[in-house]
Order: sequence, then structure tokens, then C-alpha cells
Amino acid sequence: MGIFNVENIEIFSLILFFISFFGLITSKNVIKSIIFVMLIQTSVIMFWLKLGIEGNPTPIPPIIYDPVLLENIEYIADPLPQALTLTAIIIGFAVIAIVITMFNTLDRQYGTADWKKLEEAEGN
Amino acid sequence: MTYGLLILWLLSGLAIVFENRTYRLIIYFSIFSLITSVAYFLLGSPDVAMAEAAIAAFSTIFFVICIEKYYSHRENVTQDRIRREPLLRRVGGVLPALLLCIGLFVLVVIHIPEAEAMYYLKYEYLQRFMHEIGGENAVTAIYLGYRVYDTLFEALILVIAVVAVSHMSYFEAIKVAEGTHSEIETSRVAALSLRIICPIILVFGIYLILNGHISAGGGFQGGLALATFFICRYMVYDIYDISVEKVLHWEEMIFLGIIIVTVIAVFLGVGNIIPAAILPFYQGAYLIVMNFLIGLKVACGFFFLFYRYITIERR
Repeated sequence: MGIFNVENIEIFSLILFFISFFGLITSKNVIKSIIFVMLIQTSVIMFWLKLGIEGNPTPIPPIIYDPVLLENIEYIADPLPQALTLTAIIIGFAVIAIVITMFNTLDRQYGTADWKKLEEAEGN
Repeated sequence: MTYGLLILWLLSGLAIVFENRTYRLIIYFSIFSLITSVAYFLLGSPDVAMAEAAIAAFSTIFFVICIEKYYSHRENVTQDRIRREPLLRRVGGVLPALLLCIGLFVLVVIHIPEAEAMYYLKYEYLQRFMHEIGGENAVTAIYLGYRVYDTLFEALILVIAVVAVSHMSYFEAIKVAEGTHSEIETSRVAALSLRIICPIILVFGIYLILNGHISAGGGFQGGLALATFFICRYMVYDIYDISVEKVLHWEEMIFLGIIIVTVIAVFLGVGNIIPAAILPFYQGAYLIVMNFLIGLKVACGFFFLFYRYITIERR
């Protein structure tokens, strides 16, 4: 047990999830909303990676350069969540790129990043 | 020490909630992403940590371009700051949301199941992947072997994102002539230091791609490093001399190559794609080929996005 203890990291990721959820439903700015979507994704990924090392405070990365490592298989981190979150991160960024482009178009048309003003402009 | 890092992590998240000046969000977001990357590493996943670090750099660039453009056609930066309403009314506005979030958090924390997590797949994958797929990195073996279907769709989503960015843009008509310079004044010191760093980034990206199956790294991370190399190259020479249409074309071609290699590998049995008689000393040939193709594709996609933003979206 070193100084880097990751045992209770899932509580932090849950707190961050609800902080960013709160920010998402109360934010008045489109750019902030985009950033909160990224934050929610990060917290979910953190929670999932923590599930892969449950009960294992000092995880070994799943790089098996020597089959002897497989004798202590319970200390190795679960590779499946890692492989899937790697995909999720890239897809998340692709979505964010599209969303920023949509925001640019919106900003050009209505000249504002305020949700309320955008709603008013849409209503007219 | 981890708790200190994580509390700083939460504080940077809270700072984003309570910050109204948009250009300051970028700083908090960078701090947040840095700590996220460190935490991923502590969770025993260097691959994800590397991808997160690279993605954070790219998102920061994109947000900078987006926010810079947002303020460029406003004379007064503070114009969009939230109107000062009475304190009671402001609190009343967010109180339902706050109560909802706290309630949901308490519910979730109470209902975290006590049961043991299931590790069946972990044991199966870790014990088998060296014989069935090859290589030494279990993460690469999973996303190129057992779950290659996911990777195909991830590559497809990236192509769709690239096409969507160019079609949803407001500036359909603008064409940037090849060989022109940007109108921004560049710093000579930055250009000189980038010129020194540039080749190192290129070599590092190729290293990450080619060693993805035996160490941390792989197609995604190496591809992001390659895209960073092209961005540095743009910043050094400050010239639009690469045709964006060609990059998009190349990306689609490489995606076709990924599909073909995957289909061949599935029919021949993954891992045995090159017979042992030809390359007896090497069993990870399929992983190297796929990592290389994915790296090139990711580099093309991200370079296209960056180029699109720096030339057209910024106007």
C-alpha cells in the first residue's frame, strides 16, 4: 500500500458525475454544457475502470511480458473495460467535434451562446 | 496523496460549474484532464491514460479555437456575463436541480451492490490471449482480436464525424487556396522550439504504433501523436499546403483497408494471418498491421478536424 491509494476512487467519480449533471441542467452557456458532457463521460469511464480493479489496491497494468506474471492474476487490472473505454474516449471526442461545429453554426446564425436567448430567437 | 489529487480534480470540476467567463473554462478543463490522465494511470491502465492525455490536448485546441472565434466578433468581452439577479432568486433557480442531484447521489450510494464483481472474462482473456491473438498487451489483443467489431464501428464513427463536421459547417462555400499563409502573426521562438520537437514527436508516434502490441500504446495513441506532428508542422511553417479533400480520401481508403484486413483475419483465424514458416520469430504481425492502419486512420481524421477548424471554422 503506497501513497497512491485508489481504493475509494468510485465515490469521487460519482460525486463528479453529479456535479457535472448539476452543471449540465443549470448551465446558461452552450460551451459550458459541451464541457459538462465531456466531464460526465470522464466520470463514467473512471467508475468503470475502478470496477476492473475491485479489491486490488495496487493494480498491475495488463501487459504480460512474462507468463510468470499470470501466477498473480488477481493483481492484474481487468483489460476488458480498458479496451472498451479506449474506444469510448475516441468516440466521445468525435461527438464533441461535431457538437462544437454545430455550436459554431449556431453562433454564426444567432450571435449568442446563451440558452435563453437562443430559445427566444428560435421562438420568433 | 491520491485523495489530494482527487479533491483537486473535484475542485476543478466545481470551478467549471461556477465560472461564467468562458475563456477561463479552458484552464480548469486542462487541469481536470491532466489529473484524469494521472488517475487512469494509477488505476492500472496506461493505454487509457495516454489516450486521455492526447484527447485532452486536442479538445483544448478545439475549445480555444471555438472560444476565440466566439469572442472575435464581440467588442466587449464581458457582454455575455450573466446578469446580476438578486441572490434569493438565483438560489431559488438552482435549488430544485441541487436537491435532485443530491437526492440521486444519496440513492446511488445507498444502492451500490455489495456483491462480488464478476471476473470470469478477465481470467479467460488474460490466460488465452497470448496463444489466440498474439502480442503481450492484453488491451490491444482485446480491441483488435476479441472485440474487433467494436473497433470497426469506432473507426466508422470517426469517418462519420469527419464527414459530419464538413457538412454541418456554416461555411460551405469557403475554399482555402493551397500554399497560402494564415493572417496570424506567429512567434519565432515557438516556431523554433517546435521545429526541434517535431521529429521527436514523429518518431514517438511511430514507436507507439509499432510497439502497441507489446507495450502501452497502440493505434489510437500513436495516431494522435502523428496528428500532433502535422499540427506542429503547420505551426512551424504556417502554410496551408495539404489538401483537406485528399486527407479525407486517404482516410476512407484506409478504413476500407481496415475492413479488408479484418475480414481476412477473421476467415484465416486471428493470429495465424501470416504463416509461421514465413515469419517464425514473430507472431504479432496481424496486430502490427492493424495498429498501423488504425494509427494512420486516426491521424488522418484528427488532422482533418484540426485543419478544418484552423482554416474554416475559425473565421
